[in-house]
Amino acid sequence: MNDGYLLHKRILLVDDEPELLHMVFTILTEYGFQNVKTAKSVKQALEEIEKSRPELAILDVMLPDGNGFDLLKQLKKNDDYPVLFLTARGEDDDKFKGFGVGADDYIIKPFLPREFMFRVMAILRRSYKDENPLVQLRDSRIDFSRAEVIKNDKHIPLTAKEYELLSALYRHAGRIVTIDALCEAAWGDNPFGYENSLMAHIRRIREKIELNPSQPVSLVTVRGLGYKLMTEGK
Amino acid sequence: MKSIPKLIRRFVGIMMLSIIILVILNVAFYWIAFVRNTSVFSPWDMARQTADALQLTDKGFLLADDMAVQIKEQDAWAVLIDDDTREVVWHTNTMPDNIPVQYTLSDIAELTRGYVDGYPTFTAGAPKGLLVLGYPRDSFWKHTRASWDYDFIADLPRNAIIILAVNTMLIFLIYAAANSKLLHSVKPVTNGIQDLSSGCPVCIKEEGVFAELAEKINKTSEILQEQTKQLRKKETARANWIAGVSHDIRTPLSMIMGYADQLANANHWSEAERKKAAVIVRQSKRMKDLINDLNLASRLEYDMQPLAIKRENAVSIVRQVVVEFMNTDITGQFPIEWRTADTLSACYIDADKDLLKRAIANLIQNSIHHNERGCVIYASVADHGNTCRICIEDNGRGVSDEQIDSLDNAPHYMACDTNTTEQQHGLGLLIVKQIIKGHKGKVAIGHSEYGGLKTVLTIPK
Repeated sequence: MNDGYLLHKRILLVDDEPELLHMVFTILTEYGFQNVKTAKSVKQALEEIEKSRPELAILDVMLPDGNGFDLLKQLKKNDDYPVLFLTARGEDDDKFKGFGVGADDYIIKPFLPREFMFRVMAILRRSYKDENPLVQLRDSRIDFSRAEVIKNDKHIPLTAKEYELLSALYRHAGRIVTIDALCEAAWGDNPFGYENSLMAHIRRIREKIELNPSQPVSLVTVRGLGYKLMTEGK
Repeated sequence: MKSIPKLIRRFVGIMMLSIIILVILNVAFYWIAFVRNTSVFSPWDMARQTADALQLTDKGFLLADDMAVQIKEQDAWAVLIDDDTREVVWHTNTMPDNIPVQYTLSDIAELTRGYVDGYPTFTAGAPKGLLVLGYPRDSFWKHTRASWDYDFIADLPRNAIIILAVNTMLIFLIYAAANSKLLHSVKPVTNGIQDLSSGCPVCIKEEGVFAELAEKINKTSEILQEQTKQLRKKETARANWIAGVSHDIRTPLSMIMGYADQLANANHWSEAERKKAAVIVRQSKRMKDLINDLNLASRLEYDMQPLAIKRENAVSIVRQVVVEFMNTDITGQFPIEWRTADTLSACYIDADKDLLKRAIANLIQNSIHHNERGCVIYASVADHGNTCRICIEDNGRGVSDEQIDSLDNAPHYMACDTNTTEQQHGLGLLIVKQIIKGHKGKVAIGHSEYGGLKTVLTIPK
């Protein structure tokens, strides 16, 4: 998966704990991010926003001069970029409140750097689509901008449902996506009873992306649980 | 209020019983006092016997001696009035002086019905005349004008029943009138006691017959409310304390975990050093799970985590948890096998999705914690008619029968109020039990056919 374009995004990190701030800063910069700014308070955060116009904000909830929820509301007033909470407040109520005010994700401390980076990248990928999102598979490529698959130099169009399913699988490439999550992606909020339809669509997608659809290598079945999209270079 | 009709029934029962007993007692008394006495002695019979004992001899009328003695003993007297002349032709020696010796027909009618000069008299037909037996004044009371309407006597049984019924009704009415006020004032008191038992705050008006009782109940309610408030306060304080501590630990633990993870993956470190860092990461993760568990366990224990029950597909929930674990198992040490029948795509239960996911995750986490060298975990959902069975098992080292017994029966330190050494540790299973209890389900721990631990959650549909 080519995520290189995301590493240029401007990130603002707000936490009142200097050591934690430094650790998260190094995690992000070591991953490859070049534009990471930090702030220790609401005041500093607002000043930094004015200066650097971030494209992703990672906020702590409890700050010395206010709280992350209110800060998020202020941020969302002027601009609409993704916001992630990174906080020690682990109660469900806090989590719901975070999502309620418009957060894109809510990570509870302590966290593993790998998990943190996975979620940061997932948010960025969702929010900032690649201008040229060509996804390389073993036997073909998916061009999401044109909703088509390129196999053996042939351009094969994807139907709306196939596009939705492939997008959902691509968002979690390399990981299992459950049957329920795929049904929900394709058929909406009440996705029960679509298992057979899902199987039919998966079969058709395989015919388009695989060289040998009966022995798939890119769209793998995990029996009883779901499917996994294997991209090249991941 | 169920006890008021019961109170009325009991009172009416006692009253009916009293009436019956009183009637029986009265009848018995009447029989003993009057009927028996009168059956032994009747002045009319005495007059009859005297007439029979009087005989006409050559020397005139003669009374048998024993009869004469009886008359004398009773201070009575007797005369015989001749049928034709209506004159006294014989009399006993005891006859008072002022008794007339000549009678008219109306005199005879009068004395038969009543008295002669105040002496009660009783008559009987004798040979040639009428025998009159007189008793001392004020010794008998006679009905001189006794006569009743025929219908009155004929309807007497029916009237008696009607009178009895009317009397009973009257007694009921008097009871109702007298007691409605009493019951009215009892009602708030009994309601108050009922509310007390259900733990509601009680405030009864302190007036009427039960003012004092109402005051005591109000006071008891105040004490109970205060105690409940204090207990709740303590529980909230304890839960908040746990929440506070776990919150404060999270940030330092983030740094331990974050840096250790970086070190564990640092290429310029030796294998041995990276392994040590990996141990720190693993143990930090355990601490993280412990903090999360401690917080939830205390919230569940003190009823601070209400269940958000909705109709959910158990297959979908278990599948989601299993996939989350499979997606994070980078090392591949803990593969999970999905053993649910392909035909079962849904099994609907009433559940709190997040909590049920937590319970299943805890069971999988348990298998991971207890098998550091890795194991295969088996997850399945089965539809058993009225229940849904979720089973998590592994082929790890398992547990002994004693351990299973201890897991089933020994109290957990979170819920134990004694200093026994038999307390259970580890919060994972406690949370599972608390959550499944909230779903009215059961947790069964046992040996797996794959060689490790098996936990079955049975949840009603």
